[in-house]
Amino acid sequence: MADVDITSLLSSIVGPERVTDKDFDIIPYSRDLSPARQKFPTHVVMPETKEEIQEILRIANEHDIPVYIRGGGTSHWDAYLPQEPGILLDMARMNQILDIDERNLTVTVQPSCTFSKLDRELRKQGLTYLCSEAGGPAMTVGGSVMKAGSGPHSTAKFGYHGDSDVITLQMVLPNGDIVETGSAAWPGAGKIKRQCLGPDLAGMFIGAEGVLGVCTELTLRIRPVSNFKERLLTMMSSLDDVIEFGHFINRHVGDEYLQGIYLWVDPNEPDAFLVMMDVFGYEEEIIDHRKRRILQWLKEHGYESMDPAPAHDYFDRILTGLTDIFAAGVWHFFGAGTIAIDKIRFLYKVWKEELVEKRGYKKAGFGGQVVPRSWLAFMVTNYKEPEEWDEIIKLANEINEICHEGPLVPYGIGGKDGLMPYLASHDTGYYRLLKMLKKTLDPKNILQRGIMIPKEELQ
Amino acid sequence: MRIDEYKDMIYACGRCNFCRGQEFNERCPEVFTQYWESSTARGRMAIARGILEGKLKYSEDLAERIFGCFMCARCREECKKAAQIDVIAITKAMREDFVEQGIPIPVEGAQMADSAYESGNIFQESAKAHSAWASGLQFESGSGILFYPGCLASHRFKEKTNILVRVLQAAGYKLDFLGDDQKCCGTPFWISGKMEHATKWVQDYVDMLSERGVKEIITPCPSCFRAFDEEYPSILGVETLPFKVKHTSEVLEEIIERGKLELKNSIDVVVTYHDPCEIGRYKEIYESPRKVIKALPGIKFVEMDRVRADAFCCGGGGGVKLMFSEHSEKVSAERLVHVQATDAEILSTICPACEMNLTHAVYKADAPIRVLDIAELVAVSAGIVDEEILDPYYIPDD
Ligand SMILES: Cc1cc2nc3c(=O)[nH]c(=O)nc-3n(C[C@H](O)[C@H](O)[C@H](O)COP(=O)(O)OP(=O)(O)OC[C@H]3O[C@@H](n4cnc5c(N)ncnc54)[C@H](O)[C@@H]3O)c2cc1C
Ligand code: SF4
Ligand code: SF4
Repeated sequence: MADVDITSLLSSIVGPERVTDKDFDIIPYSRDLSPARQKFPTHVVMPETKEEIQEILRIANEHDIPVYIRGGGTSHWDAYLPQEPGILLDMARMNQILDIDERNLTVTVQPSCTFSKLDRELRKQGLTYLCSEAGGPAMTVGGSVMKAGSGPHSTAKFGYHGDSDVITLQMVLPNGDIVETGSAAWPGAGKIKRQCLGPDLAGMFIGAEGVLGVCTELTLRIRPVSNFKERLLTMMSSLDDVIEFGHFINRHVGDEYLQGIYLWVDPNEPDAFLVMMDVFGYEEEIIDHRKRRILQWLKEHGYESMDPAPAHDYFDRILTGLTDIFAAGVWHFFGAGTIAIDKIRFLYKVWKEELVEKRGYKKAGFGGQVVPRSWLAFMVTNYKEPEEWDEIIKLANEINEICHEGPLVPYGIGGKDGLMPYLASHDTGYYRLLKMLKKTLDPKNILQRGIMIPKEELQ
Repeated sequence: MRIDEYKDMIYACGRCNFCRGQEFNERCPEVFTQYWESSTARGRMAIARGILEGKLKYSEDLAERIFGCFMCARCREECKKAAQIDVIAITKAMREDFVEQGIPIPVEGAQMADSAYESGNIFQESAKAHSAWASGLQFESGSGILFYPGCLASHRFKEKTNILVRVLQAAGYKLDFLGDDQKCCGTPFWISGKMEHATKWVQDYVDMLSERGVKEIITPCPSCFRAFDEEYPSILGVETLPFKVKHTSEVLEEIIERGKLELKNSIDVVVTYHDPCEIGRYKEIYESPRKVIKALPGIKFVEMDRVRADAFCCGGGGGVKLMFSEHSEKVSAERLVHVQATDAEILSTICPACEMNLTHAVYKADAPIRVLDIAELVAVSAGIVDEEILDPYYIPDD
């Protein structure tokens, strides 16, 4: 980093109270939800406006200082930890709901508005945003969309956040330019349509984990709350049945058969497949019909519907926080990503044979959720820090290696302790285009340096 | 270091940020006033871990983050879902570490503990001044039921405390009172981390009360209540003490439920209720005060948006009122905004610290709202005091 007084420069933009270089203020930003190695920013700054971000990026470019971006800081793939000394933007203060447009069914928020707060405010007007992630009360809309979040809720119909619910974005580019996407780019048109003006540039930023720009505003699709819901739970005895059930759900997505399906397999009972379902909608008759069809399928395949209490508990806590998450230690997700419905066999086999049987590791469960045409699947363990750290890293790396050599698309790329090495090792046209975009938009590699694309590949 | 004892809990933080909650900047009163992640539970666990691993040291600069915690337990409540970390215990241990390592702590915090030790109360006043509120009241020495107001209720709320005792006595409670022998319960020691005199203080107090034949303590102060109920047994390493302690919220509920007072006057006002952290989240006493308010004829009871386990602190906790008064004022002003959104004319609560902080906020905003202890509402309804105390511009003698 250049020999300049960065603290003073940043203070001149946001005021001294929103810049810190104190060791005790910095250390809380040095880890994420994963076992990624600790990495420290040199400064943390809390912008409140897009203009402040513009100015910070200008200084960063001028002095060649990398800038990292953090929302709620609940992601788990080394996706905001400073890969080299630099400034971290703590976006926390940009957390307002800017506009609820009841007529066009859209909401415009600042990036660090939490889903939970958004839902609470929307519900006061009988509206909702169907958040699919299970990250709890502090996950932010911006953080989630910037890494194309998805999860147990509502995925069967709606998929990843980025699939259809994002309408327009406002982004500050690495060079400080402020751009809007979709209809918002056309003067006076409003924030009503994503795909209406040339290429879908929102899609370019969704899932880019901040490497192409800082998100400062998002407009999302909202809908009236649905009054009727049913939770179902069953235990299947074969993965083939789970797969067929996945296809059954997938085929009826157009009919809104089911909004959420969550699979969980306990490592001590690797042949028992717990499936939880969440069905909801606007008309009781429709919900009854969907429920009947599911029960009929289960019956035809010899399964019973069990007490749905665990499914209620699970789905009801998606926004407020699942329980006992760290009771047996902190988390590590690995072998995680997107995979075609039939190919979940591959991932399950890796989990069962490589992890549980060959390596004898019986603390990581296997889970997933059906997204249209695919699963979002994962393995997750609870481990004790710091004593089990080495073991868990070695194990997870070995499993990741096998999974990503196969058809599992990495979910959450992040930095060197995330899945970046796997993306970088595949010399695809996609990856070359991504690097080209990055070089064009961020010639000095200021934003999220070392995240998603190794620094050396951009020189 | 005292935090060594909490190593497992500190490492159990999985960094989920549940503790920051959906309001993000507005949930934890410390992050509301100090912005930084280092002011949240997740940040504090990172700091504690850094200290345990030798990557960070306690420093005078750090004091504001550790002593600026309101100890409201909102984060601890949320962490019950995640890792069950006792953030309050760890914060107290960190404050103790400051003192043990000789790192300067906020002067006002140190003074509070010293005053309590030297003069027997946090205001460094005489014992006479400490019991002046009781003038004109009769007590029954040796009755076994001790009325223990604590420092704040004795000094800052003489009239309220006097009214409370009249309510209890009218309901038939035969109260003992320590008079000039009353001293602070010791809370300033564990709030400030200055624990050098705590064990002896606590032991002496228990001996003194046992000798006097005290079987039950009734106190309006949640901190004193928790001191006798939790801190004393913990410091002395015992399961129970020779006496029980009750907070007035439970006693008033008993009075109402058993019909010990005739509630003859209708009080036609809109009332809301602020949950004090130390009886709410700490002790899960949410229903008792509400039952009492709702039982009073005429009252229209309205709830604020953030109540019970989700309630925002009044700004009076953790010693912050003394150590960082501007933070405290910012938080109480915000809580007043929540009150004003209900259009209530009376803000009731049942904690002298909350009453003081919120009263200051009301005065500062010149809001037409009166802050009352629930006992005062009961007193008006039972005809023990005149309804003039309901008037927003009523000024008590104290
Ligand atoms: C209990 C629990 C359950 C979870 N369940 C799920 C789940 O079901 N599905 C799932 O996908 N994840 C899950 N997660 C992980 C996490 O909560 C989500 O990934 C969440 O979306 C991250 O949001 P955040 O605000 O914490 O983002 P952060 O962690 O702060 O950031 C995420 C990424 O976005 C970037 N970013 C943040 N803000 C901006 C911005 N304004 N502009 C540009 N880039 C930005 C960051 O640099 C980083 O790369 C879970 C986490 C927890 C604790
Ligand atoms: S809720 Fe508990 S485990 Fe989660 S970040 Fe906060 S302190 Fe850590
Ligand atoms: S106890 Fe209250 S003030 Fe202290 S960190 Fe927790 S929520 Fe914040």
